[in-house]
This record gives sequence, structure tokens and C-alpha cells, in this order.
Amino acid sequence: MSPSAFDKPRFLRVFSFLVYLFLFVPILVVILFSFNTIKSLNVFHGWSLQWYQEFLDDPSLRESLFASLEIAFATMVVSTVIGTALAIGLVRSRAGWAPGANILMLVPLVVPEIVTGISALLIFSQIGIALSIWTVIIAHITFSISYVTIVVRARMAAISQEVEEAAMDLGATRWQSVRLVLVPALWPSVVAAALLVFAFSFDDFVLSFFTTGEDLQPLPVRIWSAIRFGLSPTINAIGTLMMVVSLTAIAIAVVLPRLFGRRESGLKVLTAGEG
Amino acid sequence: MENKAPQQRRDSATPREAIRIENVTKRFGAQLAVDDVSLEIQQGEFFSLLGPSGCGKTTTLRMLAGFEVPTEGRIMLEGEPVEDVPPYKRDVNMVFQSYALFEHLDIADNVAFGLKRRKVPKDEISRRVTEALELVNLSERSSARANELSGGQKQRVALARALVNRPKVLLLDEPLGALDLKLRRQMQVELKAIQREVGITFVYVTHDQEEALSMSDRIAVMNAGRVAQCGPPEEVYEHPSEEFVAGFIGISNLISATAEDGGQVRIANGLRLPVPLPDGVAPGDPVNLSVRPEKIAVDELEPGMVSLEGTIVSRVYLGVSTQITVSLGDGANLVALEQATYRARADDRWEPGTKITLGWHPEHCLVLR
Repeated sequence: MSPSAFDKPRFLRVFSFLVYLFLFVPILVVILFSFNTIKSLNVFHGWSLQWYQEFLDDPSLRESLFASLEIAFATMVVSTVIGTALAIGLVRSRAGWAPGANILMLVPLVVPEIVTGISALLIFSQIGIALSIWTVIIAHITFSISYVTIVVRARMAAISQEVEEAAMDLGATRWQSVRLVLVPALWPSVVAAALLVFAFSFDDFVLSFFTTGEDLQPLPVRIWSAIRFGLSPTINAIGTLMMVVSLTAIAIAVVLPRLFGRRESGLKVLTAGEG
Repeated sequence: MENKAPQQRRDSATPREAIRIENVTKRFGAQLAVDDVSLEIQQGEFFSLLGPSGCGKTTTLRMLAGFEVPTEGRIMLEGEPVEDVPPYKRDVNMVFQSYALFEHLDIADNVAFGLKRRKVPKDEISRRVTEALELVNLSERSSARANELSGGQKQRVALARALVNRPKVLLLDEPLGALDLKLRRQMQVELKAIQREVGITFVYVTHDQEEALSMSDRIAVMNAGRVAQCGPPEEVYEHPSEEFVAGFIGISNLISATAEDGGQVRIANGLRLPVPLPDGVAPGDPVNLSVRPEKIAVDELEPGMVSLEGTIVSRVYLGVSTQITVSLGDGANLVALEQATYRARADDRWEPGTKITLGWHPEHCLVLR
């Protein structure tokens, strides 16, 4: 075997190519067929925007899209604030229960979403809250706080407590040291966490399914209801649009910190430094 | 930096007290971190807290900064009690071991941080920041980010950021600990020069005895939460008050002995040595003798020296000197340092196993109880 064969194994390139193919072909198919001229889901006939037109012309689908955007936005704002505060508190706490609380943060991530969904439904019906867009938001927030806390906590743990002490030593009150030093240092991870949560909430189905009311459904639930009456290429158009929304959220997480002159992008935070 | 006011304070005939620590004790739960410490630090003094990790030196410093509140005792800053004053209202500044620079700000903004909190006018801020960066030789890097600087440069920024506020006392927590040896030596010299220039009281925490000896006006050697000895470097080194101090600063060369009549002690192998016996040591009392390695003559003894026979156990070549360990028999080992001077002798005489004669002047032998 020549040394170069060891340096550049062809096998790895082929393997990587296949993995990416496996990952992206279904997505590309959805995008391609969203532009199809005919109703077929397996024959591509030509390019058109008719399925997008159909989606936009359907008032109930449009309502669902806006409902999903509202849910995702409200979830993002509330869970980012609570999750960030929690991350700061958990990392800095000298209390004995802090390590236990840290482990508890992981529970919402490993509990099957269907369990979370059913328990949320049970709680809402027990205390007599009518299911609506608000119950979806509450359920999404409880679930998203963990994500925010975990992402922000990783960054928080890397910031020496001495940095906050230095701020206080230089005349900043405790609150000023958080605002002037800690928040700017945490900022990339907060933005990354917020947009991650936005993307999760926007395309969440299981939790939304159990907690939504009848009349106004989030888009993924609305799609699911629609599919029961037969597949339409409109689904592809909606899927493509949802993908665009999610990718935009991620793109902002990557680009925004760079625009503000930060070395570290949100992508780096999300992928733990490998971005 | 404007240094006239502190200079005048320094030159005044009666030194004024910058810090007084009165019977301060600090407990973390059941753990006793600082145990009834009392110290007075004069204005303009370079004062070091020296000791091994866990001796309470950093906790003491953090109490001076206001990050920890003493469990008992008082802390006075220029006569005012401050133990309950929060750090942001205390007129002291700290240089942290990790530098703790604000990475989202450039160097000039890092240095300006304290002045901005105090609402100093803008033109004065920019003037003082420029002066502070000049003082630490970093004028060209004022718009750089913290993560673009080397360790030594970060250290200078941390120093400028603290000094620019003209604190009554500057607290330094092992500031050179993360630097390599050569840079550390260079920064020691610079730090001392800066301290002389600005005339601000420095309280310096270190575990490096050489650093403490070379920079300090006075050193407090700490052990297990207590101050074991406090005094000028020469005194702490030449006249350690106890075994711990002798052992922590330099090589102590302890020999156990028994006090006898007539200013003599008897060591384990039966040899009687003349020593300066301190008052209150009665014949028959067990004592420890300590002789610094550089005070021991090997083979070429001067008149008036005590003389002991020994066998070389090991030899370590250190460049400027050679460190030899000599066994006196009965388990007692002494370390001697031979400087590689112009009259240095042939190395082969120090081979392990060689019988040699050791000697020292009686006054160089310390008696520790």
C-alpha cells in the first residue's frame, strides 16, 4: 500500500458521500416535488409554483402557519429568558442541590415526547384549562427551557467567576456585572439557544398535537390532519417553506454574532466548537 | 499616572497604615480557612502573603477585596472599617490570577471599565487610560481584543485596569502564576518598578518563595490559616521563627539535636556543636538545627567553623551551582550548595560515596524549637 492511500483513503470519501446522500435525498425530493406541475408524488413533470399558490390561497393553512410562528416566537422569548437565568444560577450556585438540579435538566430531553404530551394534556384538563394556542405555548416553553439551559450553561461554565468578580471589583454592582460583563459574554450562546428553540417549536408535532385546541392548529398538526384526507403536493410546498424558516433561524444564529465582530459564531456554540 | 500624592505619603516621616487586619477568622462551613490573623500593612508597602496552597492567603486577600466577609474580626482600610462594604464600594482593586479580562471589550475599554462605573468625565477617562497603558508598555495594543494578546500582555492589561483607578491598595492574586519562568522573572522586575513609580500599596499573594523574597518589603508567611511569621525578606529567610517557615522558604536542612550546657547541642551521632542557643532553652530540651545550604562549606573550611564528617549521597548539577546531599550517618542528611564561581573545583570530587568534611560558622546555625 502506498503511503498516500493511507493519507487519503478513498473508502472514507465514498462512505461520507453515501451518508450525505442518505441524509439529503428525502429533503431534496420534497423540495423538487414542491415545484412539480402535476399532482403526482413520484413523477416530476415540470416547474411551477402552483402548490405554493394553493397553500397561500387556503385561509386555514395560512392561519396555521401564523399560529406556528406565534407559538415559536413566544416560546423562544419566554424560554430563553427563563433558561438563561437558570443556567447562570445553576452554574454559580454554591448550594448542595445544584448538581442534582443540573441532572434534572436533562430529564425533559430524554422523556419520550409522547409522555410529555400526554401528561401536559392531563394537567390542562385536570385544572380545567381549555386547549388553545396558549396551552401549546405553555407546553413548548416547559420543554424548551431545558434546551436553553443546557446550551447556555456550557458557555457559562467556561466563564471564570473571576470575570464577574473583576467587574464588581471595578465598581459594578452585582446586577451591572451581569448586564455589562456576563450577558455580553454569554450572548452568542443565548442567540444560538433562542433560535434552536424557535426551530424546535416551529416544527414540533407530538407536543402540539396533544395540547392544541380544535379550531386553530399549529401547522404540523394541520398538515397531519390534511394528510388523512389524501396526500397533496401542497404538503411538499409547506414542508419546503418550513425548512426555509428553520434554516433561516439557524443561519441567523451563525451570522448574527459575526456581524457584531464576535469570533465565535452561534454554530460553534451549537456544535460545541466544531463549527 | 499621577504619582505625586502617594509619593508624598510614602516619604512622610511616620508611615501610615493602609490596612489593618484585626483577629480575622474565616470559616467555610466546618472548614477553618483563616484562623485569627492580625496584620498591619503600611502605605506604599509591597507586602506579600506567602504560603502553600490552602494556607488561607487567597481567602485573606479576597476578604480585603470584599468577595468574602470575615466570620470574625475587623478589616480597616486607612482607618475605616470595611469588612461589610461590598467590593464595588471598596477603594481597592484586584489583579486576578486568570487575568479575568472582559473578552467582549477591547483593551482600552477594559482599562476604562472602572472609571466609567465611577462616572469619571470622558476626557479624563481617555487621558488616564492612555497613561495607564503607557505605564505597562501596551500603548500600541489599545484597540486589540483580549484574546489576541499573549499571557504577559494580558497580565499587563489586568494591572493597568486595576491601577488606573488609583486604588488605596492593589491586591494581586498570584498574578504571575500562569507565565513561564523567564517572563515571570521579567514581570517581577517590572511589577516592582511600577509599584515604586505609582507608590500604591501592593498586597501580593504567592506560593513562590523566590518571588516573595525578591519583590517584597515585608512578607507574611502563612500556614494552615495562621500567620507563621511576618517580617522583611532577610529576617524571614535568615531567622525563621519556626520549622515551617524555615522549610517553606528555601531548603531548611533540619538536624534534630538535644540542648546541652554552655551553648552547645548534641546531634544524633554524638557530636557536640556550638550554636547560638535562644533564651529559654534548657539543657536536655529537644531542638532542631537548621543550616541553609549556601552557608555550608565543603572541604575548604574557614577558621572558627564547626566541622563534621559526611558521605556524599547524591549530586545535582544546576548550572550556576551544584547541589550535593551529604549523609552524616544516623539518617541525618544535609544539602550543600557549591557555587560555580571562578575558583570552582573539579566536579569529580563530588561523586557519590566520597567522604568529605562539612563546616559552617556557628552563628549560621539556627536553633528551632
